[in-house]
Amino acid sequence: MDHHECSGCSLCLLVCPVWRETRDVRLTPRGRAKAIQHGMSRSDIVRSVEGCTLCGACEPACPEELPLVDMVMELRRDVPLPGVSGKSISRRTHMLLAGRVLGADPDRRQRTLALLGEGFELAKDDGPDIALALETGATLAADRLQRFLAPLRAARRLVVAESILLRSLRRWLPGVESVGIGEALTPLVRQKLRAGDLYVIESRAFNGDRARLVGHYDRLRAVSGCEMNLDLQRIAIPVMGPGAEAQARWILEGRDVERIVVEDLGERAAFAFSGRPVLHLADL
Amino acid sequence: MVGVGPDHVAPDALQGIRRQQTNPARWAGEGWREFCAALAAQGVEVLEEPSTRGIFATDAGGTAYGMPHGVVIARSAGQISLLLKTAQNHRVPVTVRGGGLTTEGESVAYGGVLLDMTGMSRVLAVDKTNLSVRTEAGIFWAHLAEHLRRHGMDYLSAPLNLTSSVGGTLGVGGIDVNSPRLGCSADQALALQVVTPTGEIVECSDAQNAELFQRVILGYGQFGVITEATLRIRPYTPLRMRYYHYSSLRAAIEDLQMLDANDASDYSGILTMMDIAITLLVAFDSDERETNFEELFLKRIKGKGEAAFAIGMALHYALRPWRLREALYLWRRKKQLFPEFSRAEHMRDGKMHDRTVVFSRAVWKFWGGRQMVIPDLATSAEKFVEAVERGNAVCRRYFHHYTLYCVGIRLREEHRAHYEMSCIPPDARQRAYGCEFEPIIGDAVVSRDLLQSFKNEIYDIGVDIGASYYRFGGMMKGYIRRAFGDALVDRHLAMKRAADPAMILNRDVIF
Repeated sequence: MDHHECSGCSLCLLVCPVWRETRDVRLTPRGRAKAIQHGMSRSDIVRSVEGCTLCGACEPACPEELPLVDMVMELRRDVPLPGVSGKSISRRTHMLLAGRVLGADPDRRQRTLALLGEGFELAKDDGPDIALALETGATLAADRLQRFLAPLRAARRLVVAESILLRSLRRWLPGVESVGIGEALTPLVRQKLRAGDLYVIESRAFNGDRARLVGHYDRLRAVSGCEMNLDLQRIAIPVMGPGAEAQARWILEGRDVERIVVEDLGERAAFAFSGRPVLHLADL
Repeated sequence: MVGVGPDHVAPDALQGIRRQQTNPARWAGEGWREFCAALAAQGVEVLEEPSTRGIFATDAGGTAYGMPHGVVIARSAGQISLLLKTAQNHRVPVTVRGGGLTTEGESVAYGGVLLDMTGMSRVLAVDKTNLSVRTEAGIFWAHLAEHLRRHGMDYLSAPLNLTSSVGGTLGVGGIDVNSPRLGCSADQALALQVVTPTGEIVECSDAQNAELFQRVILGYGQFGVITEATLRIRPYTPLRMRYYHYSSLRAAIEDLQMLDANDASDYSGILTMMDIAITLLVAFDSDERETNFEELFLKRIKGKGEAAFAIGMALHYALRPWRLREALYLWRRKKQLFPEFSRAEHMRDGKMHDRTVVFSRAVWKFWGGRQMVIPDLATSAEKFVEAVERGNAVCRRYFHHYTLYCVGIRLREEHRAHYEMSCIPPDARQRAYGCEFEPIIGDAVVSRDLLQSFKNEIYDIGVDIGASYYRFGGMMKGYIRRAFGDALVDRHLAMKRAADPAMILNRDVIF
């Protein structure tokens, strides 16, 4: 992962929610790369590294195809992630990792499980501490990571609501199909979406796998007629971090929508100002 | 320390090749501390940490390097006014930067202040009734397009790169594939808010402070900082693309000019892979326009369809097996490039949506890099074939792989005063033509002197035939007097000295 590969085109700025909020190039992928190219150390750009929301919008925008999220996570980490190994202790093949927000909402969690179907089981350990460590760059203990991954190794399909985990799970468990909650649920609820809806794609899951998912959501848009939080580059506009409401306002600007449907339950609050019904996929 | 990367100025940069043009001397920093203190007393923040200054050390060209003493992120016209007034008093140079997509170091600060205009990048008002938008000038064209689309609108024309700023573009020109019909981006400006080099905040247009408007539009940042702009807009339409293929530059240019002269299409331009595979792009905003093209002009086009051209190319290289490597390059390039123009997420019912994104992403992906030199020639319609053919011969001598991008630029006769000492050639009437000559450097590191020699050879053609250039500032400013003559340049220099007594604003770009 090399910051020196950045050519300085600024395409990352176009999609960066931090830049939209601050108009400060120092806090963007380009700002970090250029600072490092000119000899700066991690400590010189600590505010920029900490300010990144890890939304992943910059990655599909980058013509050099740099792994920009991993680059930030590396800058955040104190030490590299330890290697993991372990034996399977579960025979479940389809599991839902509900994450912090959906996990704390028993009704929607159950409805999500019901939508996913009988074969799915709720993972007892959905790794909230691991998600937090990935986000903040804190050290992950090898034995903790092993305990977390062990029951997931035998799975064939994981539905992961905490999208910061999704990215890493794909790397840690390459033989397991790990998908975001939006990708898993949209085939099941698309007939309930309609023109007049604003469908809010969870940006980390989408942007982290955009090449594959852009067609999935384009078909969903064509079938349902709903609008989406995609910009002209077809990159998901994130709704997260301290500027979440400002991002939500930008997504709604100039749009006349009747309902807002979010994939990430945690994004409901950002749209509360709109006065429109804000539903989670499980509410449809 | 994360580590310092490779030096992009190749190791042979100073060896054996006569240097024909160099970076300006660095401003030595006299009175910098007092200047910063004066700004601080007025509430203007100057960022001096190396991690900030380093961000702006070069431009998109990647061959000119310079470090400002400090950076100011633009926040308001009032703040910029204070900055420029103080800079005049302390004689501190101020270099203005938008997207930083210059290639000749025009937005690189060789000391002094770097003013980052992207800090002022908000859309202020969209007027659908009068078809105009008011925006802060540091905005990227891509962001402006995003805003306008929410209102079902689009700008008229803008550079195909997404990250040029509005203000920077209005200062130099800006061409698009609809420029043959709608003109250059600079001609879309209806009014500007400008902070003059001495710090006055002035509104100008063709009707108000017209002389300042004339000098700031296409003025290379010499006569003021554009802080806000009112631009013409139009309803958004998807477009339908057509491609015609040629093996002769002359034939393709003749067709391009025939279509432009007859207003036969809404978009037109030529994009080449060297001088072997030449593609004429034409596109239409409506079915009616496309039908009209089919009925009246299609038979006059000399270009071939994709299949016929491919057969011709196969025969051409079958008879020239020693050029197999070139054939493979063309085949690979075409296979990678053309699908980008028809990505499913941007196509609906055979029409391309958001052309700016489609074209611009392809530009960055296939032509972008850490070193970019794009010398160009801008001529009258009559001189264009000669300019392109001679420039192409230079490209052939210097590089294995390169691209030519040719497009017409409709002129507004009532704006002739704007065009003085600009990229618009003085002898062009109704429509000028521009050709960019871009080597495909990729990941290779090329000597800066080689690139400079290449640019000089292209620009010498311009002097010889009486052309102008889009990129005549910065490292190419040695051509300004040769291209425009002493009398005109001296007149503009006198205007500059009157407007900018300490010569602080964008020093070394033109004068």
